[in-house]
Parts: sequence; C-alpha cells; structure tokens
Amino acid sequence: MAAARRLKHAAVSQPGFLGLKSNVKSSELVSSRRKRVNKNKKKNWNRHSDIHDVEDFLEDIRHQERTTGGLLSEKPDDSLFFLDVEAEPVKAEKGKRRVQRPLRIDLILQHDSMVPAPKNVTAYQQPNAKKLRRIAQRAEQLAAKGVLPRRQRHLLSRRPAEKTVKKAEANNNPDRDFYAMWGEEKVTDSADPWYLQQTGKKLVQRPEKLNQKPSVLPAVEVIAPGGSYNPDFLSHQALLQEAHDVEVQKQKQEDKLQRQLAFRKEDRATEVQTIISAVAACLYEDEDEAAAPNEDEADSALGAIAVAEKKTERQRKKEKAEKMKTQQQQASRRQTERQQQLFQLRSIKSSIKQQELQTKARQMKRKARQEAQKALPRRLGKLKYAQDLEVQLSDELAASLRQLKPEGSVLKDRFKSLQKRNLIEPRERAKFKRRLKVKYVEKRAFRQIT
Amino acid sequence: MGGTQKKKFERGSATNYITRNRARKKLQLSLPDFRRLCILKGIYPHEPKHKKKVNKGSTAPRTFYLLKDIRFLLHEPIVAKFREYKIFVRKLRKAYGKTEWSAVERLKENKPTYKLDHIIKERYPSFIDALRDIDDALCMCFLFSTFARTGKCHVQTIQLCRRLTVEWMNYVIASRSLRKVFVSIKGMYYQAEVMGQLITWLVPYQFSHDHPTDVDYRVMATFTELYTTLLGFVNFRLYHSLNLVYPPKVTGEKRDVLSVQKLAALSASLARVVSTAEEDDAQLDAFPTEEKVEAREKEQMQLETQKKIFEGLKFFLNREVPRESLAFVIRSFGGEVSWDRSVCIGSTYEATDETITHQIVDRPNVDKSYINRYYIQPQWVYDCVNAKVLLPVEDYFVGVTLPPHLSPFVEEKDGDYVPPEKLKIMALQRGEKPGDDDDDEEEENDDDDDDEEDEEENEDDEDEAEEKNLKEMEKQKSQGKSLQVKVTPGKMKMENPVRLEQEEKAEEKRLAIMMMKKKEKYLYDKIMFGKKRKIREANKLAAKRKAFDDTEKAKKKKTKN
Repeated sequence: MAAARRLKHAAVSQPGFLGLKSNVKSSELVSSRRKRVNKNKKKNWNRHSDIHDVEDFLEDIRHQERTTGGLLSEKPDDSLFFLDVEAEPVKAEKGKRRVQRPLRIDLILQHDSMVPAPKNVTAYQQPNAKKLRRIAQRAEQLAAKGVLPRRQRHLLSRRPAEKTVKKAEANNNPDRDFYAMWGEEKVTDSADPWYLQQTGKKLVQRPEKLNQKPSVLPAVEVIAPGGSYNPDFLSHQALLQEAHDVEVQKQKQEDKLQRQLAFRKEDRATEVQTIISAVAACLYEDEDEAAAPNEDEADSALGAIAVAEKKTERQRKKEKAEKMKTQQQQASRRQTERQQQLFQLRSIKSSIKQQELQTKARQMKRKARQEAQKALPRRLGKLKYAQDLEVQLSDELAASLRQLKPEGSVLKDRFKSLQKRNLIEPRERAKFKRRLKVKYVEKRAFRQIT
Repeated sequence: MGGTQKKKFERGSATNYITRNRARKKLQLSLPDFRRLCILKGIYPHEPKHKKKVNKGSTAPRTFYLLKDIRFLLHEPIVAKFREYKIFVRKLRKAYGKTEWSAVERLKENKPTYKLDHIIKERYPSFIDALRDIDDALCMCFLFSTFARTGKCHVQTIQLCRRLTVEWMNYVIASRSLRKVFVSIKGMYYQAEVMGQLITWLVPYQFSHDHPTDVDYRVMATFTELYTTLLGFVNFRLYHSLNLVYPPKVTGEKRDVLSVQKLAALSASLARVVSTAEEDDAQLDAFPTEEKVEAREKEQMQLETQKKIFEGLKFFLNREVPRESLAFVIRSFGGEVSWDRSVCIGSTYEATDETITHQIVDRPNVDKSYINRYYIQPQWVYDCVNAKVLLPVEDYFVGVTLPPHLSPFVEEKDGDYVPPEKLKIMALQRGEKPGDDDDDEEEENDDDDDDEEDEEENEDDEDEAEEKNLKEMEKQKSQGKSLQVKVTPGKMKMENPVRLEQEEKAEEKRLAIMMMKKKEKYLYDKIMFGKKRKIREANKLAAKRKAFDDTEKAKKKKTKN
C-alpha cells in the first residue's frame, strides 16, 4: 500500500498528469497539507520510510554481482582492461561458414547469473556422523586383525540348506517302493475324520455295487485236458470234437445264407415256360369276355343283399323272445354247473395241482436259464463276443517239450478273457476310413501313350 | 385331465443309465482317457435288462454305464492329473515345434505323474480281497515280462513286471505253496495255495512271439499299470508275513545288480528279517481228540510230506529244457537244482558233480552218461508234482514214448471215465506198487492172448462135456432107468464170510426194492437209469481206448518185425 501510494505520488508530480478528480488542481494535490506521521512507532518505520536510494544502491551491487561475479571496484585491472598489441585484424579468418550456434534449450538451461547457487547444508548433514565414522574405523581395525563381526560369524556357521527337490515318481518306475498298505498294526487314517470332512479333503465313499464282480466266471480258466502238450487220446479227441462242432456251426450258417440267396430253379424261366405263358395269356383273353358277364351277375346279387329290408314288429318281438330264452338257458346252465362243481372237487383239485406243478417246473427252468445267462458274456457294445478255441491237430502234436510249438497267444487269451468277464466291451481294430474319395489320374506323359 | 402327463423315458431305468459318450462329456475327458479311468477305478459297463427302455425306444447297440458310477468318478483326483497331462503334451509339442530345447528339457523334467495307491486301497480294503483278485494280476505281469524291450510299450513297465514276477516266484518257493502244474499248448498253468486262497496263473512260453494285431495295447497297458501296483503291495505283505526282507535280498549279500540277477535265477535263498529259529517248527496245539481233528491232522501230515517230495534230490538241467519253469517247480518242493554256467547266472554246481541224482534231458540221445544218475525227460517233474508222489523213473527215460500229461485241474466224479494212467497214479498214491509195467504187459500180452484162447477153448470143451452129461442123465431118468450115480465124498465149500455179508446186503436191497411203492419205484428206476447210463458211457470210452491201444500195439509189432 505504501508502494502504491508512492507510485501515485510519483505519477502525480509529473507536469501534464490529469488525476481522477479533474476539478482538483494538480499543485494542490501535491503540496497540500501533508499528514503528520509519528515515526517513533514501530508500525510506521516500515510504512513511511523512504529507502529508495539504499535500494538502488543494493540493486546496483546485485546487478554487478550477477553479471560480472563480483563488485567492479574490487576487481583487478587485468580483468577489466587489456592492452591491445595485435596488428590489424586479418579478416580472412573464415574457418567455419556457419557458426555453430548453441541450441536454445541449452541456453535456457544455463545459469544466467554469475552468482553461484547456495549449497543446501542440511542435505549433507548426517546425524551421528561422528559415531558412525568411529564405528567404521573400529570395524576396519578389527578386520585388519582378523576378528569378524558377529553376524558374519553366524552366517558362516549356518549349515547350507539341503535342496530336496521332491521329484514326482512315475507309477511304473522299476525301482519304486512299496509300503504296508493293509497295515498289520491298525493305524487309522492319520487325520481325524471330522477334520477331513470340514476341510473338504474327505474322499468320497465307493458305492457298494462296485464291489460286486461283473461276472461269476473265474479269472483264469484252465484249458481242457485235451489241451495238454502231450494229451491223453480221448481228451484230445473230445477237444477236437468241440472245435469241429464250432466249425460245423459256422459252415451251417454260411450254407444257410447261401441257400437263402440262391436263385431258385423254378424262378428261372426256360424257353418252354415262356411259350406256355404266352399261349395261356392268349387263352385268358378269350375267357375274359365270357367271365365278365358272370361277374356282373354276382355283383348284382351281392348288391341285392346289401340293401336290407326293414324289420317288422313281429320279427322284433320274436327276436326278443329268443334272446330271453337263450339267456335263461344260460343262467340255468351256469347254476347247474356250479352245483355240480361240488362233486367235481377231486378232479378240480388234481387239475389245480397239475397247473401248479407246471408253473413250478417253468419257474425252475427259467431260473436255470437265468443262471446260465450269468455265465455268458453280456452284450456291451456293437460287436458280439467271439470265442476261439486253441487246439492242435493230431499231426501238430509235439513229440517232446523241446519241439513244442505254442498255439494261440496268451495276450489274446487275456484280452478275450477280459471281454468274457464283462470288464471291457469287445473291440476290434479301427479301420481306416477315407472321408474323401481318392481320384486316380494318369500322368500327362502316360495319357499320351495310352 | 388334471395334472401334467407323465413323459416317457424320464424316470426309472432310463435315467439310471448313461451312454458312454455322454459320460465322457460329463467328465470332460477324451475317449482313451475315459477308458483308462474306468479301468483303473473298476467301473464296468452294464447291460440293462430292458434295452429299449433305456435306449429311449431304439435298439441300437450302445455301451451303457450306471449314472451313479459316473457321478462317483467325478470325485476322483486322478482326473485332474489326466487333464494336466494333456496340457503337458500340448506344451511339449509346441516347444518341439518352436525348437526351444531348453523348454523341452524343463518340461520333461517336470512331467506330471500320478500314483494309484489310493485306488488300490479303495478297491481292496482288506488283504484277502486283494489276494482273491491276484490271479489276473499275475497273468498280466507274467505276460508283460515276456515282452521284447523294443519301446512299443514302456520299457519301465516291462522291467517292473519282471521284478514283481521274480519276487512272487521267490515267495512261492520260500513258502512251498505250489500245488499243481499243467503244461499246455498255450502256456504253463500253475496253482498255488496262499493263505487259504487257491491262485491259478498262466505263464506263456519264453519263445515264439508274434504279437496279434487285434489286441488293444493301451487297454492292456492300463490293466497292467493297476495290477503291477496291486502285486507290489501284495508281495510286500506276503514277504512280511514270512519275515523276509522286502525288497528281497540274497542271504549274506548286498542288494546290487548281480544279486538281483541271482534272485531272478531262482536258485538263491532269501534273507530274513529276524532269525526265526523258534518259529520254524510250530507244533499244533493238543486239543482233545475228535474224529474231525484227527482227520485234519492226518491231512496236515499228508500235506507236509507232499511239500517235500524232491527233498534230498539233486537235479541238473540241460541246456535245452525250460530252465526257469523247472527250477521254480523243483525248488518249490525242496530239491536242489543247477544248470550249465553258460545258460544263466546263479548255477550252484557243474554237470560233472558226482552227487547229482537226476539230470533233465530233452534230446533224442545223450552223449556221456554217468552211472549213478537218472537221465529223464522234463515231464517227470511235472507229473510227480501233480501226482504228489515220486513216480517211477523208467517211463520217462530218454527216447521213451512218454505217458500222456494229464491235467490236474480235472476232478473226476463217480462213474466218469478215468484214463488208465490216472488209475495207475492213484494206485501209486495209495502205496501199492503196480504189478505189471507197460513193457512187461506188451511182452506178455502175446502170451496172454494165446493163453486166453487156450482157456476159452478149454472152457468150451468143459461146458460141452457137462451138457452132454446132463442130457444123458435126463434121458436115462425118462427111460426110468436108475441113474448110475455114485456117492462120492463131498467137497467142503469154503464159505467166504465177506462174500456172505455182501450177499446178505444184496438180498436186503432187493427186498427193499420189492417193497417200494409204485411212485417211489418209478423214481428209483429213473435214478438208476441215469447212473447206469454214465457207467455205460464210461465203458464205451474204455472200449474205444482199448481199440486204440490195440492198434498202437499192432503198429509197434509191425515196426518191430
């Protein structure tokens, strides 16, 4: 505020200045009664003291310091003046055409005053600097002697961590370990069942039905005694007979198919037959005309029956009476039958007993058939189960164990056994199916030849 | 009408079953993975009783599983491992494709694997359950151990199978559990009795392997995976029940490659955990004698003797006989066995050993023969084991036609045809020595025939003479002449008490039959008819056999002459 008032005074004291209040004269404005100010109060030292000259002087000093880095009066003569002893300057100093001007950005970033920036002492201050320095010196001295600080001693005495990377062992590793699964000492599951349930780690119980075997057949069926490498005569014959029966069945099936598909002799029209049929056709043509009127008559007769006459009253009454009569007769017959049944009790009983026996026999048969069914392989998929018999013919039998040639392969036998026991469904090798037809094209050269 | 109508195929059996593809989609697995999971967990397809109902009206053959089983499969932790493996394969293939070999190495090192121990524990909660299912496991392991190690199936599986089968055989030898052996054209069937369970398994022959193409190897490999784990645990338990060290060790040796091979040779004895001197001869407790207990004791004694038929005998196996099978069988019954050094490691003595009692040979002739040992064909060993008694060695000499190898798994009932060889064996078992040998029979048969003919002629003559006499006597009587009958001192008929008893019994029987009611007699006749039919058939077979034998003899005679 003081500064603003000062400026105002300065502006107003100019000769041609017109103030806001134009009716007021300028001279009056300046030299009117100056208000008296008490300069002994601290408040007024700042407001009403004129320090222009001091400030100008200080400004000048600062300017000098900024531009030349110090007071000009204190600078030595050499820095201000120099003796020019050089000859006329040769203007042929061309050198670079273009003077490499510095970039504006670099210029902006340079300092624009020779006064160096003040150093922030607090940034270099470190609390406890002396103490830390002394500690470091102490440590150096001890290290020079060979005494290590406590922490390093602990680190060195620590055992190196054993890196046990637990590699997941494959299930078919030949050196795998087995442990006591059905423990003799009844060690219950290590964890509490309640804990397992609450944390969701409890294994689901296996349903009871899965513990039943899918088939009653034994896992390993020993071959019949005829399958020995040196069989007894009769058992070998029995086995051959079985194999023979199987082959005969197959042959029968094939023959049946052939028979069904065969072309019958009767269907084949010979020359004679064609002539006969042609002649017969001609004959029938003649007969047709004769037969036609007969048929017409028959038709008319039928037509006549279809049109019914209306029944008369008498006929209706008669019918009713007849109906009643038959009903009565039947009722009486039923009555007598019921009465007679009393005397037929014995025969009735025997017939009932017979029926019961029959039903029982049928039940037993059905049960036996069901039991037999259980031993058969179930139909589990598209293919049917096919059993193959291993048998060696009489001339294939070996004279000694050394000359024995094994028949069939155990791999196949096991596979079939798994199918027979309903563990897997019968499967055969997948055929190679082409999605797109293959087109054969001759090479150009060959096309010309053929 | 009130209420909603019932729709078909929405309840009942149609909702209890699920098709294979639906199940697979529910589990989010590929088909081979689904199959593998089902095999491992023991989930099998079912054939529904009313296929049309379950199949929603169609009769197309589909594979059905029970819905509850599939729901149970959803909780299996292995399913996550299958998925991890699928992702592993995908990453590996990508790394290969981009030829990032370090990534390939890293992935291979961290390949995801799974263990089946919890499945075994779940499927076989007790040890006896596991023993009941061990037949299949043994067959598979023996089969896989004979495969060639080409890399088609994991070589590790084959090695593991070999190790487990060797352990099993060593256990059977140590516990003397082998009971029956049958050499067939398919392979060798063995039966052992372990902890009261009869276990039968089939071992294929070591040679000749042309693998059939229509067998699904993945399925078999999955079964084998499960079974190897099962067999391993069972072996562990069995070994511990006998106080043997598991994994098995040869006595006094460290377990290294050489000793493992010696174990495989089946000639070494196993190391024990604790020296069991006291437990070897466990005496039976003395209960008050009852009939059953006596019978059982007798059986026990019999069993003990049967387990030791080869004890004290020393065998030597020639190079051409199946070494492993014979070594297994001989050692299971207490015998000592050895073989040529060039065949296999682990032979204990050489062929030149003087104390060898039997040498097993399979050639047509033998070069050098020692006096005090028998040279026999391998069938003798098997037949002795089946007969439970040492059979006469003469039938099995080198170059002799062997008697047929009968199956010990056949149980003959009363009235069935019993081959004569079996009868001979049963006679031997009872302790009777066979009166005539085959050879003697052959030689004597000619004489017998002649004798028989003579005898018949004599008998005919006698009969004719008697008839003549009787006719004369009648004639004389009718003519009224007194007969020229002399009174001669009577001959005392020795009454056989046994025969008398028998006759009495027969009479009683006849009386009882006469006194039966009509209905009962009818039933009795039916039964007897059935029995007689069996006997008739057996006689027929015997006649057939006799005819065959006669033709054979005739042939032999021809060749002799």
